[in-house]
Amino acid sequence: MSSRGGKISLFEGVDRIAVLLYVVLVAIGFVNILSASYNDDAEIFSFSQQYIKQLMWISVAFSVALIILLLDSRYYHMYAYYAYVFGLLFLAGTLIPGVSDVVKGAKAWYEFGPIRIQPVEFAKIATALAVARLMSNYTFTIKNFGHLVHVGLIILLPFIIIIMQNDTGSGVVLSSFILVLYREGLNKWICIPIIIVAVLFVCSFLFTPLFLLAILLLVFTLSDAMMIGRWKMHIVFAASICFLALLLNVLSTLFWGGALSGYASLVIATAMGVVVAALYAWKRNITAVFLSLALFVFSALFVPTADKIFESVLKDYQRERIISFLGITNDPRGIDYNVNQAKIAIGSGGLVGKGFMEGTQIRYGYVPEKHTDFIFCAVGEEWGFIGTMTVLALLCALILRLMRMGERQEEPFSRIYSYCVASILLFHVFVNVGVTVGLFPVMGIPLPFLSYGGSSLVAFTIMVFIAIRLDSTQQSGITAL
Amino acid sequence: MNLNDANTRRTILQCIVLGVFLVLAGRVAYLQLFDSKYKRLAAGNVLRSEVEYAPRGEIVDRNGLYIVQNKECYDLMVVYRDMNKQGFDTMQLCNLVDLSKEQLVKKLKEARYASRKAILVTSYIPKETKVRLDEYKFQGFYTVCRTARQYPRKIAGNLLGHVGEVSMRDVERNPDVYKVGDYIGITGLEAAYEEELRGVKGVKVLERDYGGAIKGSYMDGAFDSLPVPGLKLTCTIDARLQAFAEELMVGKVGAVVAIEPSTGEILVMASSPTYDPDELVGRQRGNHYMQLQNNKRQPLFNRAVKAKYPPGSTFKLVQGLIGLQEGVLTPSTAYPCHGGYHVGKVKVGCHPHSSPLDLRNAVAQSCNAYFCYVFRDIIENRKYENIKKGFDSWVEDVKSFGFGRKLGSDFLGEGAGYVPTSEYYDKVYRGSWRGLTIISLSIGQGELGCTPMQMANLAATIANRGYYYIPHIIKHVEGRDSLDSRFYEKQYVNVDAKHFEPIVEGMWRGVNVEGAGTSYAARLEGWDVCGKTGTAQNPNGQDHSTFLSFAPKDNPKIAISVYVEHGGFGASMALPIASLIEEYYLTDTIKRPHLVKAIKEKQWRVPKKYVE
Repeated sequence: MSSRGGKISLFEGVDRIAVLLYVVLVAIGFVNILSASYNDDAEIFSFSQQYIKQLMWISVAFSVALIILLLDSRYYHMYAYYAYVFGLLFLAGTLIPGVSDVVKGAKAWYEFGPIRIQPVEFAKIATALAVARLMSNYTFTIKNFGHLVHVGLIILLPFIIIIMQNDTGSGVVLSSFILVLYREGLNKWICIPIIIVAVLFVCSFLFTPLFLLAILLLVFTLSDAMMIGRWKMHIVFAASICFLALLLNVLSTLFWGGALSGYASLVIATAMGVVVAALYAWKRNITAVFLSLALFVFSALFVPTADKIFESVLKDYQRERIISFLGITNDPRGIDYNVNQAKIAIGSGGLVGKGFMEGTQIRYGYVPEKHTDFIFCAVGEEWGFIGTMTVLALLCALILRLMRMGERQEEPFSRIYSYCVASILLFHVFVNVGVTVGLFPVMGIPLPFLSYGGSSLVAFTIMVFIAIRLDSTQQSGITAL
Repeated sequence: MNLNDANTRRTILQCIVLGVFLVLAGRVAYLQLFDSKYKRLAAGNVLRSEVEYAPRGEIVDRNGLYIVQNKECYDLMVVYRDMNKQGFDTMQLCNLVDLSKEQLVKKLKEARYASRKAILVTSYIPKETKVRLDEYKFQGFYTVCRTARQYPRKIAGNLLGHVGEVSMRDVERNPDVYKVGDYIGITGLEAAYEEELRGVKGVKVLERDYGGAIKGSYMDGAFDSLPVPGLKLTCTIDARLQAFAEELMVGKVGAVVAIEPSTGEILVMASSPTYDPDELVGRQRGNHYMQLQNNKRQPLFNRAVKAKYPPGSTFKLVQGLIGLQEGVLTPSTAYPCHGGYHVGKVKVGCHPHSSPLDLRNAVAQSCNAYFCYVFRDIIENRKYENIKKGFDSWVEDVKSFGFGRKLGSDFLGEGAGYVPTSEYYDKVYRGSWRGLTIISLSIGQGELGCTPMQMANLAATIANRGYYYIPHIIKHVEGRDSLDSRFYEKQYVNVDAKHFEPIVEGMWRGVNVEGAGTSYAARLEGWDVCGKTGTAQNPNGQDHSTFLSFAPKDNPKIAISVYVEHGGFGASMALPIASLIEEYYLTDTIKRPHLVKAIKEKQWRVPKKYVE
């Protein structure tokens, strides 16, 4: 694979397996987009045909990949922060009224003539580079609370902008960095609550605020106990909050005519508990408690309150619209409709599928977004179980390959970046396929390499090829820096 | 972070990746390999079965004239989930198909509860409207071609019957054939020959897209089937004769039945009052049906096969025949008559005529007394142990003529009429009765009840000299060589052929010899008409008028029975009607237009029970 000395060609040290997996996935994507978007009425080579557009995007992506392989690998380390700042500005630009194009309720697009660009796809790369750069500093240690806060901020900043764009799905993708943090040594009792919070956030509309708050309380108390021990104290703490909430509720019912609901009582009790815990931690100087508290307060503010407004204040039709704004679903006919149709398409494929261009559910428009977010349905319906397993296996192989590429790096920057890419891909695949088979609510994020769309294809290409480029430097023996 | 820890974390992360993919693969495997419901749901999404209704068989008369035809009409169907979600111009649709907005809203509500199912919005849409509907393209709505009945001659409503939607009971009884919304013959021929007429529905399996637009045939029509039209029926009715009979019967209550004696084919079966069969087609069917139902003259009651009328003097023919067969009478036996039959308290009056009379003249003159003697001789015959046995034997003979039982024609709803039994009299008279008690039977009065078809059958039996073919209404079913074999079998009565000659002679004399009988007005030059009048007394008002006839005497072509309720003397109402029908059938012309006019204008005193 590597030839030390000798002539250094363009593809010297390039991981051919990763490139092959990438090319095959893009090709499969094209075939399915062709089938899903083929329109009998239009001309075969008309530019209005989406597969022709996709063909153009594929050529753009291949060119970009070539350019990335040509560039010096040190640039990525060097310009990581610049890329991050530029990515954030690019992303934030969509929030300026009149600049962006509202698509499906999300203000997440720039429109340049016939081309639409979704900056969030590129912001992910920028964030990955910035995270890798920060964590690869010689002085960086993950055990340091302050350092951790830095990383947290780098991830949180784009997250907040993305949430403001009403593009929840893409925002939640950033939570996949938790896997990178874990790989770099973060205590698993911080990782686990963060994953739980992410799941709760996505599913918040399914639960009552009271239930959400109670779950959060339990999760964080438990993880804090796992982290620093002192089980007795944590149990007493949780029990006293519960008792206080109960007492408040009962008292208000008896003497105040029920002015405090169960939820309000728990909020008050929890707020008091947080203050007490903070004072205790400050006095005893236990920073780990602060970490838990900070995370808890953030999640408690974000997760249940958003839903509180949802449940009680808004009218039904407003709720439906907001559910669709959030990208949870974009069909007013019923939350389950899209997913049902997706499941029908995939399930009706059977073992070998209905054959290329023969999928009735796809061709006749029963599956919404069939060539973008629901492209997996086309695979499932037309190629059957064999097709879906092939695609999943290829994606899985690519992700594992990226992780392996990361592990063989000497440079922490390359390793961390590889893990960032692997995590983002994993999250995308998990959520996208999970949505089509009914494991997740509809979130509107693309399936890497397969979904129609220039932004996502080019962005994922850049993302993967930077990792391949960094790896090739390692493989060909040229030491970065 | 030491190397060992890094390795552990790497392994855990790899496991997470594999775990994620296993979860996805497992879920996909479940959907694609283990849960078969998605295939079904996919088919439900895409496929739409459109029923293609078979045109019902048409009906022609014996000469090939159409009496029931089909006209194209359309049902408007809606599939709720295929409807335009942005809404559509409801007023336009309502105006187009002549539907009130409330009705449409009601239908759409119904459709909403079964959003995948095609729901009938309205039916009987004429072709012009259908073309316009197609132009407007209301999404989710489509039309289904059906056939509605139309009656070019507007005759024989009760005979033909009508068609309506199947009842739930029909669907349950025959779920393979009928679905809700199908049409079925409800009465008359439509019901009797439902199996032949209905045909077989076809089906078209179509693929449609998300918006409900049809994309073409599924699997190139591998699952499609074409509708098989119902069979064409040739009716034994002579449409022109039927129309003429109905015309003559206008304003009267009663029935005309004419039979071709040599085959048992029913030439005319008119029940009066009748109705326009076209009224029982289309959206107003229900309303019209109720109107007819509530009409006190009961136009929906098919008197020709259901009414139980006392046969009156026409029944004397049966008495004479049985008497001859039993040997209690010879053609030359003569009985005196002086104004009737008087024995003790029993008095059966008779009109003035010469006396004594032999059998031929008694038939021609319709002497009441003569047949009282005959009847008593029959049932009080010494060869039977007692009067009961004698009476039972008489009943058996009468029944062999088709009275008191169903003839077994191919017509549904045939009535049996009524012939009393000895058990019945035992009950009524507590066992003590004798010939004189039931003497009114001898002249076709009393408990006797005969349907006009049974009386026409009697005329045919006499015309055939001793046998009849079961009267039937269908001559030929398209594609079949023959009818049910029972219609080709001679049904012999219990009287030998040789005994018929004096009776026929009497009937001939009654018509053809002036002054010799009651039916002189029925003679037709050159046609040897034989006939017997009847005037059935009834306690409710004027006598019923009836006439029984066949012609010509040898090789008879038509046997007819006319019965007019409260029509007065047999000779004054029923006779001219029968005579005109015979004339029209035999000669194809009417040489007595004045008689037609007189019959049509004849004053008919409406009995109280028919006053609405």
